[in-house]
Amino acid sequence: MRPFRRKRDDVVARLEPAEAGVLGLLLDQLEQLLTADADDVDGDPVMARLLPAGHRTDPEIAADYRELTESALRAGKTDDLAAVRASLPAGGGEVRLDPDQAGAWLRTTNDLRLALGERIGVTEETEPPEDPTGEEGQQLAVYYWLTALQGSLVDAVAAGRAGRR
Amino acid sequence: MAGPLAPTRTPETTVEETADLDRPWVTIVWNDPVNLMTYVTHVLRELFGYDEPTATTLMLQVHNDGKAVVSSGPRERMEHDTSRLHAYGLWATYQQDA
Repeated sequence: MRPFRRKRDDVVARLEPAEAGVLGLLLDQLEQLLTADADDVDGDPVMARLLPAGHRTDPEIAADYRELTESALRAGKTDDLAAVRASLPAGGGEVRLDPDQAGAWLRTTNDLRLALGERIGVTEETEPPEDPTGEEGQQLAVYYWLTALQGSLVDAVAAGRAGRR
Repeated sequence: MAGPLAPTRTPETTVEETADLDRPWVTIVWNDPVNLMTYVTHVLRELFGYDEPTATTLMLQVHNDGKAVVSSGPRERMEHDTSRLHAYGLWATYQQDA
């Protein structure tokens, strides 16, 4: 991977074929979660993290909030995901994003990290895997790869804002 | 002994109830182990228009204290702010200010 860097109004990165493939698979999995029947993902901690309760202690307010916002939040996340898929070169290569596409990539890579982090139990103390071969090591390696990708994108987007002032 | 003009408890209660209704609502961002510090700062700037030092201070408060109030106002607006933060994957809730 060549991390995201700013080029005029765009941000540009380069992904290896295998990286683009992994990202494509992760997008498929996230889409399945976001479009699943509510009953099938009820109580799933990943869904609870992607669509959290709006109030911590008052179940009525939390229910009101969910009723009011959940379908729009789901739709927004699904739209972001589609925008990422459309701008991802399937066989790897250059990824060039305008500001709107960069926003979709920021939110979707964050959702992927939230989902993966929840599944593998990431804490403040978690560190990159010493052995990235076992299943757990592989998942953690993917998580840290996504972290590097998103981190470079945040920096590239923030650099654009600094340049506008 | 209390005369007819002595204050009763009623006005006090009324004041408290009024104060309760007037208490603003707040939107809180909670710390989590996944969101990048740079990302949290970016989102706070993007959504609330905070300048860099303000957004960074709030982000550090989330990181160090576990939470920070990022906006306050009427309940409907806090609902809206919470959902905008959820769209970006930040862990946010809203409540009436304590």
